[in-house]
Amino acid sequence: MKVFIYPTNSLILSDLVERFGHEPLAIMQEIGKKVRTQGLDSPPMNMTPEDPKFGLKYAAVEVPSGVRGRMSLFDPLLSKAEAAIIVIEPVISFGCMGCARTNELVNFLLRGKKIPLLKLDYPTNEEDAKMFVYKISEFLKSLKPAEDKK
Amino acid sequence: METITKMIVINSSKLLPSDVAIKLYESKAEVMVKETCFGVMVSGERDIVDSLLLEIRKLDPYGIFIKERGFAPGEPYRCRATRRGGAKPGFHNLENDDKLLPHIASALKALDRGEIPIQKKQTKKLNIDKFKEIIKESEVL
Amino acid sequence: MSTTENLVRIAQLSCGAEYSGIQNEIDSAVKQVNAVMVYPEVDIGDIEAIEEEFGLKVASPDLKLLMARAKSIVTGKVHVDAVFIATCFRCAEAAIVRSEVRRYINEKTGIPVISYSFTERTTAGTLLTRMEALTTTARRKSLLAREKQNGLTAGIDSGSTTTKAVVMKDNKIIGKGWVPTIKVLESAQEAFNNAMKEAGVTRSDIQALGTTGYGRFLIGEFLKADLMQEEITVNSKGAVYLADKQKGPATVLDIGGMDNKAISVMDGIPGMFTMGGICAGASGRFLEMTAKRLGVGITELGALALKGNAHNVKMNSYCIVFGIQSLVNSLAGGSTPEDVAAAACHSVAEQLFEQQLQEVDVKEPVIMVGGTSLIQGLPKAVEELLKVKVIVPDNAQYIGAVGAALLASGFISK
Repeated sequence: MKVFIYPTNSLILSDLVERFGHEPLAIMQEIGKKVRTQGLDSPPMNMTPEDPKFGLKYAAVEVPSGVRGRMSLFDPLLSKAEAAIIVIEPVISFGCMGCARTNELVNFLLRGKKIPLLKLDYPTNEEDAKMFVYKISEFLKSLKPAEDKK
Repeated sequence: METITKMIVINSSKLLPSDVAIKLYESKAEVMVKETCFGVMVSGERDIVDSLLLEIRKLDPYGIFIKERGFAPGEPYRCRATRRGGAKPGFHNLENDDKLLPHIASALKALDRGEIPIQKKQTKKLNIDKFKEIIKESEVL
Repeated sequence: MSTTENLVRIAQLSCGAEYSGIQNEIDSAVKQVNAVMVYPEVDIGDIEAIEEEFGLKVASPDLKLLMARAKSIVTGKVHVDAVFIATCFRCAEAAIVRSEVRRYINEKTGIPVISYSFTERTTAGTLLTRMEALTTTARRKSLLAREKQNGLTAGIDSGSTTTKAVVMKDNKIIGKGWVPTIKVLESAQEAFNNAMKEAGVTRSDIQALGTTGYGRFLIGEFLKADLMQEEITVNSKGAVYLADKQKGPATVLDIGGMDNKAISVMDGIPGMFTMGGICAGASGRFLEMTAKRLGVGITELGALALKGNAHNVKMNSYCIVFGIQSLVNSLAGGSTPEDVAAAACHSVAEQLFEQQLQEVDVKEPVIMVGGTSLIQGLPKAVEELLKVKVIVPDNAQYIGAVGAALLASGFISK
């Protein structure tokens, strides 16, 4: 199954989802697609003023352009998500995850999707990490395995 | 087929980035390999990269962590050598994640041993009556 | 532009620029002024500690990164010539950070700082004048240190509404020209000719010429000017020169025909500034339309406003369409033209206060310049809002031309 991970750029979540046989939906994939888009010349990420305009799908024009631009990146991930793992109060992360308002909106939209959802605290020690990994593995086991990507 | 980049982050006592890079070169797969301070980056067609990394993981299942990267290695806007100054924002994320990897590794080992961790009791906010009592006691002092 | 001059390193402290799709615009603007953006080095420990150290708690991680980068500049970990702070328009959290970081860097280091709130519509063109001013301040300190005009020089200020020219000799204005801007080159030529005629000199007598304002490059190249400089630097210099406040802090306000400038100056050099140009209701044009509606000339509006009371007129909007409609309605409801004139001045001043003066530190003396400063009701309304005395120096309407002539005298020896 396609599993949305939050924080969407997390190495650990991305790795665990893949390791346990599912497909992580991570923001890096969307950035990669943007960066590789031919013909656009808007470095560094090839985002253009069209992206915040696309973000109007999620938020009105009085919402800052940075929020709407980020939402346009999240859009394909949100629509593909079949399950989600959300880390509550993750350690600080930047860039795509750098805006608190965007993060709140993404969380809200995920909850509204009525898909299997696992909420977890960010681990700070080995004991917590064991619980963290255990819960993720149990959650992912309960989901159908990922379809062949080919 | 799209060309993607995956990051192999190594947190292992028995494996160096160069060991992984050599394995990748030995595979003769059509991929681009770049060693970094945290591990190795591999670029190539998604299917080739994915199946190659399935094998690479086996070198040290508890010491290798993988995620996709949006930018190709050496991308001038993101590469520290050409960016004029600090690291790209994502590097700080990686620094954060990296600190936790030893704990994740031992959690994965415990999972493979079939250990079921015990749920810790959640701490609740202090009962208001109990709190009043404490305040009263401290007033006496 | 100064493409042959030293490369200026500008630190970019921003949140949301890449995601708004405008990073390319920023890069393109800095390239045009021969500058580069740099990203101050920080490590994860700096970021983790920054809220406690800086004393401001924020929810957005990129704002923490922004604060940590600011600290890295202040502690000298990284060397930069100027700082550009930019965050999304309408983000409250970012606006607080932007404002406090700007103050922090400027106070602790004296490095010139500009702050800007962008939308996806921000273009390189919008940013260019600001970047030009920022890099000028960083690279031309010696030129900006000039306090006296020497020799025989001239300055032309090609504004969006009017074109002004002055001829100066030995620190005195000896000729002036003022014409409406119709065709940029022809209007400039006319204003310049008028000034030269009054001064009794010809082009070949003029030892150095400076141009400023929107048409500075076109006119500058045509008339072979020695200096082509944006209006923020030039007006700061001109204002403290005309008001004789060259030492210490000052705040320069210029409400123009198309955009407003609020500049925080130290020893005649701009430290922080904002340039606004989104709303016509906050411009000289609003006052021009009010005058027209009242059937008086723009030069009479100010005196009229002084006799009125702005609070007698209820305005529902700052907008040049709906605000003017409010004024018309109140005239129909029996308000006096004096009160309406005062209300118009108050409306423009209030917008300047709300939208721009929050972006700079207002320090006395406050000097108002530009044509609109002669509409007496306007400086009075600003005085009431800021609760400080506002200085309008003689020849305030020639501010850009005087500043350009003053700075141009630095080129005589060449």
